Amino acid sequence: MSDGIVISEEKTTEENVVCKTGIDELDLQLDGGIPVGNTVLVVGSSGSGKTTMCMQFLANGARQGERGVFFTITEPLFKLTKNMQGFNFYDKKLIESGMINLIDLRIISERLGLDTEKYTVEDASALLEVLKDIADELNVKRLVIDSITALCYRLQTKEMIRDFIFKLGSSLAAMNCTTFLTSEVPPNEVKYSQYDIEEFIADGIIFLGDVDRSGDLIRTLQLIKMRGTTHSRIKSAMSISSKNGIELTPLLKSRA
Amino acid sequence: MTNTLIDGLKERVSNAITINQSVGVILPGNNYSDLIQALFEHIKSNHEDVWVYVTITRPYETIVKQFGDICCGGNIKFIDCISRAAGLSKVDTNCIFIESPAHLEKIIMEIMGVFKDMGDKVQKYLLIDSLSSLLIYNDAQLVTEFFTHLINITRLKDIHSAAIAIEEEMNDNINKMIYLRSDKIIKLRESFI
Repeated sequence: MSDGIVISEEKTTEENVVCKTGIDELDLQLDGGIPVGNTVLVVGSSGSGKTTMCMQFLANGARQGERGVFFTITEPLFKLTKNMQGFNFYDKKLIESGMINLIDLRIISERLGLDTEKYTVEDASALLEVLKDIADELNVKRLVIDSITALCYRLQTKEMIRDFIFKLGSSLAAMNCTTFLTSEVPPNEVKYSQYDIEEFIADGIIFLGDVDRSGDLIRTLQLIKMRGTTHSRIKSAMSISSKNGIELTPLLKSRA
Repeated sequence: MTNTLIDGLKERVSNAITINQSVGVILPGNNYSDLIQALFEHIKSNHEDVWVYVTITRPYETIVKQFGDICCGGNIKFIDCISRAAGLSKVDTNCIFIESPAHLEKIIMEIMGVFKDMGDKVQKYLLIDSLSSLLIYNDAQLVTEFFTHLINITRLKDIHSAAIAIEEEMNDNINKMIYLRSDKIIKLRESFI
């Protein structure tokens, strides 16, 4: 085998193991992208851009031929699609063609006959099985659960939450699709999850925050961890616009 | 100022910005309007070049009113950093309105976004009007970092830049920085060019 062929094979393998978010600066910070199969916690307070980032991640994947699924438990589907319509990355055809599948977990719960506000251990297991079945059936490469916090809120004890989180982690690892789990935290707190356990099943953590500059809030993004890749840990300023979705640039370090 | 003097100013700035990658223009407030007029005339007469004009000194609408057609050629895009902070919420295809002049990173992102849309085949120019006005909204350290970062990016992307600084608004830090970072300094005096 010549050297040229060896390089070509390595390149193909390299391309297959990285899942590009499609957000150029973020992929650059990730040394190419997220290792395929990683579960990433997208952490932030209300309005920090978690859902937008997840939808952009799915839309960019769908354009590369990677099917995705978005499980929501925080907002109804009509509201989710309405909010996304303003973004250029959003294309209704990606949903109509089945490249992006939007699923309301509350509706699934209702169909399973579960109490949508409170889950028992059995309910949680049943829901997990359904999530797995849907992901397998659709053969998705990208999966989003928005939010893991709202899902855990429906579990009654810390033990149940811990058990559910670990089972979810094992299921996601077996699926070999790249997953974003959104995690809601209070504003201005350096905390990655509500229940202090979600981060332990995550291979990566993307923290979305704010810095106050003369009373204005500047959105920020920081990669806290990402297993399987050398990544940047700089704090970036983040912008969300209808034209480009999420964009990043290095944050200027004010001493004020 | 007479037309002859504006022409002289235009020639001086035109030559400097064509030859040098980054030019700093330091001037007294009284000469400001003449300099802007000279710059617009230069931009209009070099229609194959593309410009991004970042205004922190006057709202876009005021510039259009004052300079009329001369500032609205097809080869110039504006980034207005002050109108929205003043409560104006106009939409104009030729101008991007930034929420706050304190959001310096957003200014950088928008500048680079506009240049990206312009493609690679054109000669690109950036005008910051003015660096000293940013001091009204930001601390000097931050403005220094912003300018350094901007100069680094524009050099990497082969974009020529001109940064205006008004003497009355300047402090020692900005003065030092503009001298250090610019390839060429043009210092204007009230009495002569």
